[in-house]
Amino acid sequence: MTTDEGISYDRSFLGKDYSIGKFEISRRMIIDFSEATGEVNPIYVNEERAAASEYGSIIAPPTFCNLFINGGEKPDIKLDFGDIGFFAGQAIESVAPIRPGDTIEATTHLKDVYAKTGRSGKMVFAVWETRFVNQRGDTVALVDESFVRRNSRRSQH
Amino acid sequence: MKALYYEDVEIGDDIGPQERVVNVAQVRRFLSVRGGTPGASRFTDDEYAKNEGLAGAIVPGAMNITILSQLLTGWAETVRLKKVDVVFRGMVPHDKPLTLSGIITDKDVVDGEPRLECDVFMQNDEGTRLVIGNAIVALPMRIDGS
Repeated sequence: MTTDEGISYDRSFLGKDYSIGKFEISRRMIIDFSEATGEVNPIYVNEERAAASEYGSIIAPPTFCNLFINGGEKPDIKLDFGDIGFFAGQAIESVAPIRPGDTIEATTHLKDVYAKTGRSGKMVFAVWETRFVNQRGDTVALVDESFVRRNSRRSQH
Repeated sequence: MKALYYEDVEIGDDIGPQERVVNVAQVRRFLSVRGGTPGASRFTDDEYAKNEGLAGAIVPGAMNITILSQLLTGWAETVRLKKVDVVFRGMVPHDKPLTLSGIITDKDVVDGEPRLECDVFMQNDEGTRLVIGNAIVALPMRIDGS
């Protein structure tokens, strides 16, 4: 069952944009990200091969924008439910290439808050959508993050 | 790395498997990409993680989705990952074997672009799926129909 009834949080946050920041993207950053995570596709790690691709140079891997998102920096929506919380899921849509030399700006907003009831009882999900836009005003990536809160087993007894 | 074309794959084809192990040095490097040195956290320090009730240090979710995405970006040079959507079902520990795998669930040409839909999984050596999700990738056609 999914519902938003009976969830106590500050609804004024819904749809309101918050700036996460503006970030300059360097070639070094892309290579470091790729090497740290084990990326092997040449369009992200090999200058020569990437130059021969449709992009003309290396570009950032599709999940690169995750570097600039930190769940702990989201505004407190005063969600009054549960005693434990965790990162439940994430969706990343790569809309356009992020290139070395780009400046990308990230803006986030609270997209949805809803409850689900499963085997472990009621859980409340808060979904934040972050949009990354480059210096030309083009959206390069969209990221949805879901954070869940529920009651620990200890508090249910 | 090989080239892969839309005509080469069919619904039901497996992707992978690919074996990975993530160690603390890789996590530290990942957390350092924006600069600075990561402090002790559940991602870098066993004791810190144990104090939070975990069995040991874990791999950050942001790194897990990236590693699982590499099942697709590492599949072939011609693969372009358009979207990946995952659910974190379990903690991903350091220094333990992880298996990445996937299956093609649909293929279609959307707005003139040949695309595949895939289910993707990261599981531990006991077969427990720690991260599950789906993805959309674009592939070129061997004979460009446009």
